[in-house]
Amino acid sequence: MSVSSPAERDELNHLLQQSGRNDQHAFAELYRRTSSKLFGVCLRMLRDRGQAEEVLQEIYATVWRRAASFDAAKASAITWLVTLSRNKAIDRLRQHREEPMEDPSMLDETIDEQPTPAADAETSQEHRRLQHCLDQLEPQQQRSVREAFFTGATYNELATRCKVPLGTMKSWIRRSLMQLRTCLDQ
Amino acid sequence: MNMPIEDGNNNLRYAEYVLGVLDADARAEVAHEVLVSGEAATAVALWQRRLMPLADTIGDVTPAPYVWARIHDALQLDAPARVTPRKGLWDNLQLWHWLGIGASALAVALLVVVSLPRPTPTPAVVSAGYMAATIQQDNGSTGWTATMDLQHARMVVVPATPVAFAQDRAPELWLIPAGGKPISVGMIARDKPTTLVLDPALLAQLGPTAALAVSVEPIGGSPTGQPTGAVIAKGAIGTAPNAVGKVADTGRTQGDRILRSLG
Repeated sequence: MSVSSPAERDELNHLLQQSGRNDQHAFAELYRRTSSKLFGVCLRMLRDRGQAEEVLQEIYATVWRRAASFDAAKASAITWLVTLSRNKAIDRLRQHREEPMEDPSMLDETIDEQPTPAADAETSQEHRRLQHCLDQLEPQQQRSVREAFFTGATYNELATRCKVPLGTMKSWIRRSLMQLRTCLDQ
Repeated sequence: MNMPIEDGNNNLRYAEYVLGVLDADARAEVAHEVLVSGEAATAVALWQRRLMPLADTIGDVTPAPYVWARIHDALQLDAPARVTPRKGLWDNLQLWHWLGIGASALAVALLVVVSLPRPTPTPAVVSAGYMAATIQQDNGSTGWTATMDLQHARMVVVPATPVAFAQDRAPELWLIPAGGKPISVGMIARDKPTTLVLDPALLAQLGPTAALAVSVEPIGGSPTGQPTGAVIAKGAIGTAPNAVGKVADTGRTQGDRILRSLG
């Protein structure tokens, strides 16, 4: 699901706000409309269906409890939900740090998260802007940012995976983040 | 300390937090800051807005129905325990591609899901929720897989390997009750998933004694209401078994009997 239409965005905002008022039907509808997206995010980061299901359950339990704190003026519902999902997934990854992903084939697979032209047409305007800014980065740095975002890896893990010193990875990512900010805030 | 640099460093930490590269301790620190400082919260929110659109490219994956059931139970909600994802099971191409390969595994998996909570197996098909069938071609390869959602009276038929048809011919799906005449379920696509609505009469005939078959018909469907062209694929319907391990066997035997009678 790419929430690209403003109408859909508003509907999700409304459903999340209603959930914050203990409206169970709104909450069920919110689940119906967002769970596939959030499950995709969890699965992408955790790469384990069982764990992703557990985390998805935690996510919606948190949504139900915290929906009242959602402020549509600060973020859209979908951003709020994806953020929450990534945070939960990253927390889970950090708990299981003793089992790092060492499979080198995984890196090749995860590196290329470029949308296909068809998929790209469906992504939001925000995504296209971000993509434009990512394209201005050095290829290696762009890959590192993507890898970080999609796998929730720490600096250490990223450095190991990309076989560069930790300091190099840190400076790649930090420089990329600053460049992205400049480009996006223009 | 020089303010602009401090601002820069802090901002980087918030960015790193949102990107997800910090270790557990550093993450916890920032998370705490966000709770106690409006400034930190705003900086983090800004970074979320900047970076979260990346998630647009992550494909949807529909969670299994029991995930909602668990959430529902855990939160003790009163709302209906069943939620059908809008862009869910039925539209998820990835799932169907996978299904095309592992239909029998899915049939068994679904049956495990539906049959586990039942201490005594019920022959009643309706209680099972889902049924599945592998519709095999004469050469033994899977032509289509069909999954039936009884509660929502729908069937999704997914081609495993596209079958070639003459230009004015198309596949039609039939339900064959034990000892009964074929009932048309509908025309199906040869190269992409088809969702069919099951009317009550059809629904009543679905069960472990029935089979599915695909025949070659004119584009608009059989003109007679009965198969007029060659039957190119057939398969038994699997349902809640006494023991999960028996699914394939019992289903297949009964189906085979019907299919032999079909000729």
